[in-house]
Order: sequence, then C-alpha cells, then structure tokens
Amino acid sequence: MLNNIKKDFNTMTWVLIPVAIAINIAIGQIVVTLKLPVFLDSVGTVLVGVLCGPWAGALTGALSNTIWGIAIDPNALPWWPVAFFIGLVSGFMAKGGWFKSWWKVVVTGFVVALTAAAASTPIAVYLFGGITASGSSFITAYLMQTGLGVFQAVFSTSFLVEPVDKITTAMLAFAIVQGLSRRFIARFPRPENVEDEGGANQTQLYIAIGVVVLLVLFAAFMLRNILGG
Amino acid sequence: MAMHERLSFYAKRDSILHRLNPLTKLTLVFGFVLISFFAPFYWTPHLLILSGVIPLSFTGKVAREYFNASLRLILPAAGFLFIMQALFQPLEGEELFRIGFLHPTKESVMFAFANAMRIFLMVSSFTLFLLTTHPSELMSDLTRRGLPGQFAYVIISTIQILPQMQAKAQTIISAQRSRGLDTQSSFLKRAGSLIPLVGPLVFGSLVEVEERAIAIEARGFTSTKTKTSLHEIPDTNSDKMIRWILAALVLISLALRLWLS
Amino acid sequence: MAIVNLQNVTYTYPLTHSPVLQNINLRVNEGQFVSIIGPNGAGKSTLCYTIAGFVPHFFKGELTGTVEVADNESSKSNLHEWVLNVGLAFQNPFNQISGAKYTVFEELAFGLENIGVPRDEMKVRVEDAMKLTGISDLADRSPYSLSGGQQQRVALTSILVMQPKVLVLDEPTSQMDPIGTREVFGVIRKLAEQGMTVILVEHKVEWIAQFADRVIALKDGQILLEGTPGEVLTSPILEQSGFGISRYTSVARKAQGIGLWKNDQLPVTLDEAVEGFALTPSPSPRGRGEQ
Ligand SMILES: Nc1ncnc2c1ncn2[C@@H]1O[C@H](COP(=O)(O)OP(=O)(O)OP(=O)(O)O)[C@@H](O)[C@H]1O
Ligand SMILES: [Mg+2]
Repeated sequence: MLNNIKKDFNTMTWVLIPVAIAINIAIGQIVVTLKLPVFLDSVGTVLVGVLCGPWAGALTGALSNTIWGIAIDPNALPWWPVAFFIGLVSGFMAKGGWFKSWWKVVVTGFVVALTAAAASTPIAVYLFGGITASGSSFITAYLMQTGLGVFQAVFSTSFLVEPVDKITTAMLAFAIVQGLSRRFIARFPRPENVEDEGGANQTQLYIAIGVVVLLVLFAAFMLRNILGG
Repeated sequence: MAMHERLSFYAKRDSILHRLNPLTKLTLVFGFVLISFFAPFYWTPHLLILSGVIPLSFTGKVAREYFNASLRLILPAAGFLFIMQALFQPLEGEELFRIGFLHPTKESVMFAFANAMRIFLMVSSFTLFLLTTHPSELMSDLTRRGLPGQFAYVIISTIQILPQMQAKAQTIISAQRSRGLDTQSSFLKRAGSLIPLVGPLVFGSLVEVEERAIAIEARGFTSTKTKTSLHEIPDTNSDKMIRWILAALVLISLALRLWLS
Repeated sequence: MAIVNLQNVTYTYPLTHSPVLQNINLRVNEGQFVSIIGPNGAGKSTLCYTIAGFVPHFFKGELTGTVEVADNESSKSNLHEWVLNVGLAFQNPFNQISGAKYTVFEELAFGLENIGVPRDEMKVRVEDAMKLTGISDLADRSPYSLSGGQQQRVALTSILVMQPKVLVLDEPTSQMDPIGTREVFGVIRKLAEQGMTVILVEHKVEWIAQFADRVIALKDGQILLEGTPGEVLTSPILEQSGFGISRYTSVARKAQGIGLWKNDQLPVTLDEAVEGFALTPSPSPRGRGEQ
C-alpha cells in the first residue's frame, strides 16, 4: 500500500500540486468577484485526486486550505480536514471508475458533498459551537431557534449548501480533464481514471442533469426526515 | 494586491527574533495556540496577545507591519466571527436584548469574544512568525530535520505561483470586462461568464506542468541521495531551551484543564 | 572516442502507433559540437529527450536499439542517475525555473542540493559556473524578475553546475529576441571553446555554421544528411525537403546560376558571403558615375 502511494507522487504530481492550489484560490476568488452563490474552491483539489490518486488529492486539499487561511481569510484555517477529505474521497471515487462520464461525475460530486458535510460538522460544533464565520450560519442559527440540536442543525445546513457546490466543482474538474490531451494526461500517475467510456456527450449530459434533479429531491427528502426526527 | 503582500510577508531586519531558529518560532506559534485552547482560564488568549505576541513584535522590530496586518486583515475576520457568534449562539443566560428571533445573552457574547480572540491569537502569532522568518529559511531547516524535499518544493512553489496566477486572473477579468462582463448583471449571465474566465487561466497554467517537471528532473529532483542545503540555519542551545519550555507550558495547561474540570 | 553512441534507435510514444524516431545511428565524440536541424515535427526534441534519458524513463513508450553515454546504457539506468551524464536545457526559459527558490544563486544551487553536494563545494561550483556564463551580477535577483535571455542563461547555468559530460540544448534561443539570442549564443560559444561536448538543436543556421563541427539534418524521424556545416547547410537537398536555410546560401545559389558566384562552396553566414562575392570579379564597372 505504501509503495502504491509512493507511485502516486511522481514529479508530475509534485509540480501539479502547487498549480492546483493556485487554481483553487484563483477560481475561488473569481467566483467571489462574480458574486456567485458557490465556493468552487476545490476544483484543483479534485483534479489532483482524479489524476494522481486520493492521497495526493488529500495533501493538495490540506495545503490549499492552510495557504488560503494564511493568505486570504484566517477563518478558513481550521477547516483543512474538510479539504483533506474532499481530495481523498474524489480520488477514491475516481479510482472506482466514477469519473468517466458526466452522470458519474455528478454522483462523485454528491458523495464528495456528503463527505464535506460530515467532515465539517464536528469542526463547526466543537470548535465554534455551531456558529461559524460563514454566511450559511444564518440557516444554522434559524434551525437551532426552531429547537433542533446543534449537531443536526449544523449537518442539515451543510447538507443544504454542499451538494450544489461540490457537484458544480466536480463537473468543472471533469470539463477541464476533457479539455486536456490524452498524451498530457498519460504523464500523470492515474490516467486510467479518466479513460473515455465512449457514448455521446449529449446523452450523458442529459442523464447528468436528470441525476442532479434526483439528487436534489433525495437531499430534500432526507433533510425533511432529519428535521422531522 | 493584498495577497501578494501577505505571501511575501517577510520583513528583513536584524533582530533576536529573526535570528531564532525557524522551528523555535514555529513551536512558539503552536505553543501559544495550544495553550489558549487548553488553559482553563477565560483570559488566556487575551493575556497571550497582550503579553506575548505584541511585545514580541517589538522585539522583532516588525511592530509596524504587525499592527498593520492585524488591523487590516485579522481584526475584520475575528470581528465578523464575534458578531456572528454573539448574535446567533443560543446560549442560556442573562438576555441582553431581543430583535426578532435574536436574543444574545451575556454568555453568548463572552463565548464569542473568547473564540474571536483565539482566532486572532492564532493568526496574528502566525503573522509574526511569517514577518520574521524567510520561507526558504524555514524550508531549509525543516528539510534538514527530515521533511521530504518535495514538500519544501510544493510550499515555496505555491507561494511564488499564486501571485502570478492572481495577476493573470486579474488580466482576464479586466479583458472580459472590456468585452461587456458586468458583475452586476443577472445571475445566469454571471454564471455563464465563469467558463471563459476560468478556461484560459486553468489550461494556461496546466500546460506548463510537463516542462517544469522535466526541468526539475533534469536537476536531480528525484535523486535518492541525502539532500544538502545551501543555507546553514543556526540552532543554538537557547533555541532548544525555548522549545522545551514551551512544550512544558503546553503540558502544564493541559494538566490544569484536566485537573480543574 | 565516442561519448554518445546511439545504435538503431527507434521510438514510439505511448498511445501512438507510428515511430517518431526510426533507426537513428549517431556517434558524438568527446569535445565535439554537433548541431541538429530539421523541419517542425521532425523529431528533434524527441531525439534530445532520448539522449537525455527522458525517453523512455519519463515519457514511457517503446524504445528499441541502444542509447549509450560514457559507456553506460540508458535503459539500464535511472533517470536521476542519467541526468548526471547528460544535461538538458530547452526552449521556454520561464518553465525551466524551478519555482522552489527565491534568488538566482539559490536556483543554481537547487540541483546540487538535490544530489547532495556539500555546502562549500556547492558555493564554489555555483560561483564558477556563474562566471563562465557571465551572470554573476544576477546572483541576488529573483529568477522571475529577469529578461528572457537572462532567464535562459540561468537555465543553462543551472544545468552546467551539475557538470554533465554532455550538454543537450533544444532550441534554446527560439523564444528569444535578438538581444537574448546573442546573449545565449555568447554562452554557447564559450562552452564550445572550453571543449564541452554539445548537441544543439537550432533553426538559426547562420549561428550553427560558426560553432558546429558536424551538422545532422533530421526529417520524419530519420537522418537525412550528415556532415560538416559547409556540406550540410548548403546542400540543395535541404531546400527541397522543407528545411529553413540561410538567406546568404539562397542568394549565392541564385548568383551561381547566373555566373556571379565563382566559388564551389556556397556561403552560410554573412561573412562567408561577403568574402565569396569579394573574390568574384565584378562585371566591368560601367557604373553611372563613370560616364
Ligand atoms: N508526448 C507525445 N506523445 C505523442 N506524440 C508526440 C509527443 N511529443 C511529440 N509527439 C509527436 O512526435 C513528433 C515529433 O515531435 P518533436 O517534438 O520531437 O518534433 P520537433 O522536431 O522537436 O518539432 P519542433 O520543431 O516543432 O520543435 C511530432 O509528430 C509530435 O506530434
Ligand atoms: Mg522541438
């Protein structure tokens, strides 16, 4: 296992990681400039996870968050484990073949969102007592007012916010991979993760949109159950 | 750009703090942060800021830069956290006032203040560290102590690539603006403009990866020999002593917390 | 004695089907200066990568035949050992900056740190190499703040400090302006004078003619012509096969056609052309001024 991890860290990986971190931060800031209601601050992390394996993705996420915290917003600092798991899980999803077509990428994005929600909840609860410096804490505060426990309130909030962001992130990373030449991708440790499955792109895109709708419905349903319970 | 300044934070001076070993200063930062979390006294973070970080910024002859960064960057972030938590944290206790469903209590304000101060302490002591330690000095020292050389490469390379990337992003945004991109326009329009903004930025930086990998391989990046370092980073006995004292203080505050609770 | 020896080298990149290099045989003696020319896509860069070990170690793919440098065989070695035999510098100076260092001096020491050279020796080697390439005054500058020509000289120096036995340069001036080009060729001239074994891919044939002991013309992955600069660079085959040739050669060839160039040997550089035309008795001077 350790040897396999070592193989994932070839020179291409080490050179890609700083670029990926810069991509994370640059896209994150463009999104702020455009005033879009998403973060999109882990496109690079997902990219590394997919092309270089889970542990490289995890390292990218953790470093990215730390540097973001030092350079831009100190409040981002404590969240590095979330970014770590985003990289890790996208890497494992890609390894399992879940990054080869549009609709599969949507599922990957959803799983990454669940991971992010799960990883951020304990940090928000134990470090911040539930209310953080993020705008979505308005929702948490409201949910707590309605009598929900702090754990449930925080998790439901993430569950509401994360899927849109992470599915968009995964799709953006996929679009980037599609735009890279195969000979370039072949230099990275895991080119097999993004091998083309064939099939028309249009059809896949429609399926992807269908999956997004289903996932949103599923999320709403789950949320009602959590809130009801 | 604000970030550029922050990434090349280092202020070249001749001071005791600058001469300390980087690991010692790093221990100082982590020591302060851990103590502020462990020690079971409400005033710990405040005391550490007033009697630790701020005096040290004078010792390091970087007080002006330190206050500048604190006021412009750290205080707003800590302040925002304070307001959010003070208003929304539903802690039981003496109610201060009530607007709509908000009814901050004395307890929630106290809690929010301590948290904000911890964040302030964490970031401002790290800022002090960056002001007095050159990144390559830090990396040389950590590499000598066993950190894999590739990590040093990643950290410093990121610090240097990031401002270049941001400059490029800025160029692309202004180019798009002149072609009619309006950050006030409708949501769909703004979302649609994301791709033409991101595309050139991402692909432009990715194509460089292969050549840079070849260039550093050509210079023995993957060599299995034990790496040496151009810079000699002194590590004195007083450095070692400071590190041990800090470790002891952290343990004492942890013990106090376990003992008192 | 041949220091570089390629025998029957054929190479195919991964994911492709036809070979980019076919049956290449190439011997370079110690201290020789060999230039490679060829149209776009001829396989010049691939040949450089092959000698420098990146083919097949970095690019993978299928390599047959043998690549030997200083009696070691590439396929039996590791890339990180091979780079001590062969140094490689290429077109884009910006991408050759490691990014891991803040000053030129540190940048030059990067490779030596990686291969574990002791500190004192490191400093001496960096300073000597900087003197050789004339960049001592850049030592404390940031590599990112330099001009293209300066960056390329830093890239060259960063390879020279590694003290390779053979230096491979892939179009080091193709992205330079005339000033940068002159700066870089100034360094290359010094290396040639010092007796370094150099393999240089270059479009600018007028420069090649000044340094090269031997020129190799590559086309479609095969060696088309090989010989002294005078033979190869003025060969009519070049022009027919889509190579860029010196304008002085084409002018002289035209002149030869109408009897204005009397030498057997066609020129490549301006000096050679001037010299040649000076030998040719000019048509009887019935200029306007005389009448
Ligand atoms: N990584 C790669 N994978 C597959 N094919 C490649 C790769 N790199 C180059 N090629 C192909 O190999 C052939 C030779 O390329 P090479 O770069 O060696 O040519 P060149 O003579 O250096 O050209 P130029 O003058 O443009 O630099 C070209 O057809 C090119 O498309
Ligand atoms: Mg080429």
